[in-house]
Amino acid sequence: MTMADDDMELENLFAQARKDRSELPDDLAVRIQTDAETTRLGRLVKHARPERSHWSRILDNIGGWQGFSGLAAASVTGVFIGFFAPAVLPDTAGLFGATDGSVLAADLGFDTSFLESTE
Amino acid sequence: MEDLTSHPQDVRGAGCVADDLGDDRLLRMFADGDAGAARILTDRLGPRCYSVSLRMLGNRAEAEDVTQDAMMRLWQMAPKWVPGTAKVSTWLYRVTLNLCLDRKRKKTPEQLPEEAEPPDNAASVVEKMQDTARHDALQVALMQLPDRQRQAVVLRHIEELSNPEIAGVMGLSVEAVESLTARGKRALSAILAGRREELGYDDG
Repeated sequence: MTMADDDMELENLFAQARKDRSELPDDLAVRIQTDAETTRLGRLVKHARPERSHWSRILDNIGGWQGFSGLAAASVTGVFIGFFAPAVLPDTAGLFGATDGSVLAADLGFDTSFLESTE
Repeated sequence: MEDLTSHPQDVRGAGCVADDLGDDRLLRMFADGDAGAARILTDRLGPRCYSVSLRMLGNRAEAEDVTQDAMMRLWQMAPKWVPGTAKVSTWLYRVTLNLCLDRKRKKTPEQLPEEAEPPDNAASVVEKMQDTARHDALQVALMQLPDRQRQAVVLRHIEELSNPEIAGVMGLSVEAVESLTARGKRALSAILAGRREELGYDDG
């Protein structure tokens, strides 16, 4: 066979391959359609679901209404104690001026006698 | 390969879709919830995807898996598709070829094309072997080409894409595609000539 014959043979094989181009098998077509339908319905459901508001998502993140009410109660208590501190609580604000560590420890109710003995 | 990107007639809401709409228009309609658009796209693009996969992998089961996977990616990508940026078919060919390459890389020994039914008559064994060999000759030869050459030859000579389209699919220049197809054809001729001598039907 000459090179021209080889080329002709190859072109014939290509032509045959184009003619015999495979059809989509029926079961594969069904699988593809099922995938398409599943994707389409999934998208429709996603769009149909109402969008949650920004505040709803924040509320979920802190444990819902129960979490929010606990957080609110703790905050109010903190503010109250800040303004109307009971006498039994140490004056922590006054401690910031202290230069001696023993004062801080003593004010918090610890035994500081060992600190005094070393001085 | 026809890909009409726009059509004046709006068929959405009519409960049916027209076969002559472009691929990207159909994809938009599918993204908007039109099931009929998916059926037309499957009929139009599915066979091309399957044909290329079969030629690239030489195995029906694998070609079916790749086709389903590639089409699934098409459905998922539909809402993000920007019309006019590229042809849907070009995108799908590219995805299909990449999936085929992934499969080939994962597979250790090279699988040859599926065997034909064994001959049932001892008297015609040689004749049937020759028929089968002729039938599978192209596929066997294709499987011996390097991946890039095989892709270029299949897209050019079996799928009948133009060189610029192949360049778009493979991410190459047109010159590189021409070079790949030319080298691929020369290699195929040499493989087929060697095979003819082996099987003894050089004269006929």
